Amino acid sequence: MPLELLLALVVIGIAGIALLLHLMGRSDQTYLTTEDARAQWHRHFPDDDIIDVTLTQDAHAAVVRTREGTGLLWSFGADTVGRHLIDFDMIETEHGLQVMFHDYASPKVTLHLTEFERAHFQTLMRPL
Amino acid sequence: MSDLTYPDVVQWAVPFFIAAILAEVAWIAWKGRGGRYETRDAVTSLVMGAGNVASGILLGFIAWGFFMWLWQITPLDLGTSVWVVLLCFVLDDLRYYWVHRFGHRIRWVWASHVNHHSSQHYNLTTALRQTWTYTFTFMMVVRAPLILLGFHPAMVLFVGGLNLIYQFWIHTEAIGRMPRWFETVMNTPSHHRVHHGRNARYLDANYAGVFIIWDKMFGTYVPELDEEKPDYGLVHNIGTFNPIRVAFHEWVGIYQDVTQPGLTLRQRLMYAFAPPGYSHDGSRDTSEGIKAKHLARNPADAGTPGFETTVPHARPSQAAE
Repeated sequence: MPLELLLALVVIGIAGIALLLHLMGRSDQTYLTTEDARAQWHRHFPDDDIIDVTLTQDAHAAVVRTREGTGLLWSFGADTVGRHLIDFDMIETEHGLQVMFHDYASPKVTLHLTEFERAHFQTLMRPL
Repeated sequence: MSDLTYPDVVQWAVPFFIAAILAEVAWIAWKGRGGRYETRDAVTSLVMGAGNVASGILLGFIAWGFFMWLWQITPLDLGTSVWVVLLCFVLDDLRYYWVHRFGHRIRWVWASHVNHHSSQHYNLTTALRQTWTYTFTFMMVVRAPLILLGFHPAMVLFVGGLNLIYQFWIHTEAIGRMPRWFETVMNTPSHHRVHHGRNARYLDANYAGVFIIWDKMFGTYVPELDEEKPDYGLVHNIGTFNPIRVAFHEWVGIYQDVTQPGLTLRQRLMYAFAPPGYSHDGSRDTSEGIKAKHLARNPADAGTPGFETTVPHARPSQAAE
């Protein structure tokens, strides 16, 4: 197949599929309930014994305290990702917090928080 | 016969790939079941697929040069009859089984293959979430016996392309199970869903490309259980849709592990070549460790598919030592 034709097919194909999925509402971030967050954390870390879960008001993230340590769970498209809060930095932003993991595969998470939530979450996430 | 050529079937299949993805999206929307799609996940998978084709164009000469050198030194030439092509297809599928198994059991090769498993979705775009770094695994050497036996390099690459195209359609939840005779011999959506499952039960199972018989022969076959739906993705799922990070994250992980201070040479080599999950201090779990921990939590699963040989309470992460 001529390279020009292959390139055009690939570009149009990817753009078309992306547009179609977006128009079908497939770009929404998943919303979490406390129970969802518990279930998702156990999905990622089945050995952890959860103490409590604190959801963000926008329901896109949660701080999960476990007997094995504190962790952060967040919406990742239609799914979730979780990380134990071991090696990270927190940066205050206009609309909440940015959590920078020193992890090439999960570099950062942006949390959208109210003023009150920001202080609360900073306390929850601070390493003991 | 050094100028034998076959069409690049993977490139010619691109329009079919796009049409099939659109059909799957429409089917899921119409039926309200049969899989899930997410925009950024799908785009990442498609970009990974495009990058795979690009890396083949840019780096393909390395494998091709190696294969043509082998072709020059072998005294054997099996010709190009239909039967030879069919035999080549079957033997190349056996080659695929072992390369794929190495891809899950040797971290150096896993670093290339991991991106294919990095989506938490399982749909036709996942099939196209392919490696950009296969050349650096040096797994082209596993094809050497085929060429030395007298199969022309162009034929070997041709049947390899057909193998990849076959595997496209099995990346779907829209198809439940195929007829029993087909499920017995061929790799199917059901068998391959197991392979993509991150459930302890389904780890390191069903490496087949086209024929599931290889898994049955070599003891890696696990059937999909109706009572345990595969949970797709990685044991430690990644938190990025950035294709660069998807393509290279495990290579970065190897570099960081191998260069950490205070390790012996053996430990550094183990970080590069032991099964994924190896750690010198037992802080991580290999698939054996994950299965053992699962059995410790769920002892009733002992002896069931995926846990036939697992020893409960085995010390995780030491398995690779």
